[in-house]
Amino acid sequence: MNPIWLWLLVLIPPAAFACGWWAARRTHVRRSGDRVNELSSDYFRGLNYLLNEEQDKALEVFVRLAEYNRDTVETHLALGNLFRKRGEVDRAIRLHQHLVSRPGLSDEMKTVALLELGEDYMRAGLLDRAETLFSDLVAMDALAPSALRHLIAIYQHEREWHKAIEHARRMEGMTGEDESAMIAQFYCELAEQSRQHGARTEARDYLREAFICQRDCVRAHMIMGRLYAEEGEVGQAVDAYEAAIAADIAFVPEILPPLLNCYARSQQMERAERFLREIMDRYHGISPVLALTRLYEGRDGERTAIDFLTGQLRKRPSVRGLMALIDATMDKVSGEARENYLILRDLTRKLLEGQAMYRCSRCGFGAKAHHWQCPSCKNWGTVRPIHGVANE
Amino acid sequence: MRLLALIFLLLFIAAGVVFGALNADLVSYDLGFAHVSVPKGAAALVAVVIGWVLGGLTAWLGTSVSHRRRRRRERADIKASAAPAA
Repeated sequence: MNPIWLWLLVLIPPAAFACGWWAARRTHVRRSGDRVNELSSDYFRGLNYLLNEEQDKALEVFVRLAEYNRDTVETHLALGNLFRKRGEVDRAIRLHQHLVSRPGLSDEMKTVALLELGEDYMRAGLLDRAETLFSDLVAMDALAPSALRHLIAIYQHEREWHKAIEHARRMEGMTGEDESAMIAQFYCELAEQSRQHGARTEARDYLREAFICQRDCVRAHMIMGRLYAEEGEVGQAVDAYEAAIAADIAFVPEILPPLLNCYARSQQMERAERFLREIMDRYHGISPVLALTRLYEGRDGERTAIDFLTGQLRKRPSVRGLMALIDATMDKVSGEARENYLILRDLTRKLLEGQAMYRCSRCGFGAKAHHWQCPSCKNWGTVRPIHGVANE
Repeated sequence: MRLLALIFLLLFIAAGVVFGALNADLVSYDLGFAHVSVPKGAAALVAVVIGWVLGGLTAWLGTSVSHRRRRRRERADIKASAAPAA
C-alpha cells in the first residue's frame, strides 16, 4: 500500500474520535442549558409564590430547585430565609451551616451564608454565637456594615451600651451615615443607669457626651432636669426641662408633669403661666391647656378655671379635656343631671382606656406609654404622642 | 448559522463522493480470520465513522456517569441539611 494512504488511515480514526467527542460534549452542554432555563423558570415561579405570600408552595418549589441544582447557592439562601421567616430556625441553621461548610464555595457567597447564619442564631436567641460570627465578619472586613448593624442590635438587646457606642462609631466611619442621634441615646441610657445607681457625676459626663453627639437631645435635657431636681437645684431643673421642650415640642406631654412640679417647688408660678401660654400657641395638644386649668383652679378659683377650659375646648376639642371639664363641674350638678354626668364620665374613661397615646412614626406601633426605643422596629426617638380628639 | 452548517455539510459530502470516485481501486486487509478487499475511499469513510462514534460514546458516558454520581450526592446533602429536627 502507498505509504501516504497508510498514514492517512492511521491519522483519520483519532481525528474522527476527537471530533465525535467534541460534538457530544457540545450537545450535552446545550441540553444542560435547556435544563438551566427550566430551573430559572422554576425559580421565578417560586418567587411569584413568595410575592403572593404563598410560602408553602414557594417552599416546595425551592426545595425541588435545590435538589436539582447544587450550584445555585442563591436558591439555598432563599430557602434558608424562608425557613427562618416561617419560624423553622433550626432548619434554617442547618441549611446555612451546610452551605458554609461546602467546599469550593466562593468567598463572597460564604460571607453571605455566614451573615444569614448569624441572623438565624439571632432569631433563635443564640446571641453569643451570633455575636462571635458577626465579630469575625467585621474583623474580616466582609459585609462589615450589615454585620455591624446586627452587632449593634445584639449589644442593645444585652444593654451593653459601651460596646454599642463603639460599634456605632465604627459603622459611622465605614458607611459615612450619621448615627449621632442613636449614639446620643446610648449615652442617655448610660446616664440613666448611673443616675439610678446614684453616680451623678458619671451621669453628667455621659449627658455631656450625648450633647456632643446631638446638641438638641430631648432625652438628655430631661435626664439633666431630673438630676437637678433630685439634687434640689429646682431652678436649673426648670431651665433643663424648658430646654427639652424647646428642642422638640412634641414631647410636651412627657415633660410637663416634672416641669410643673419644679415650677411649684421653686415658687415660679408666674413663669409657669407665661411658659404654658407661650407653648399653647405653638403646641396644639391638650396637655398645656389642662396644666393651665389646674394652675388657674389653684390660684383664681374654680370658676375661672372652668371658663378657661370651656373656651379652649371650643378651639381644640378633646376627650381628655371633656373629662377634666366633667370632673370640674360634677359638684355643681345634682339629681338626673348628675347621673347623666356620671354616665358621660364613664364613657369618656372607657374611650381613653382603649386608646394608644403614642405611635412610632416609622412602623406605626401604638403604645399607651412612651418608649425611647420603639419595641417593634427598634428605632430610637420615633415613638411620639398621637394628636387627635381621643389622644393628645 | 444553520444555513452555513448545511452548506459545509453538502461541501463535505461532495468532497467525499469525489474522493471515493478518485480512489475506487481496491485495498485488501488481512484480519487474521478473513481477507477483506474494499475500495480505498470506503475504508477511509469507515475509519471516520468508527472514530466519530467512539469519541461521542466516550464523551456521553463520561458526562452522564459523573452527573448521576453528583445528583446522588446532592440528594443526600439536601436530605441531611433540610430534614426537620427530631
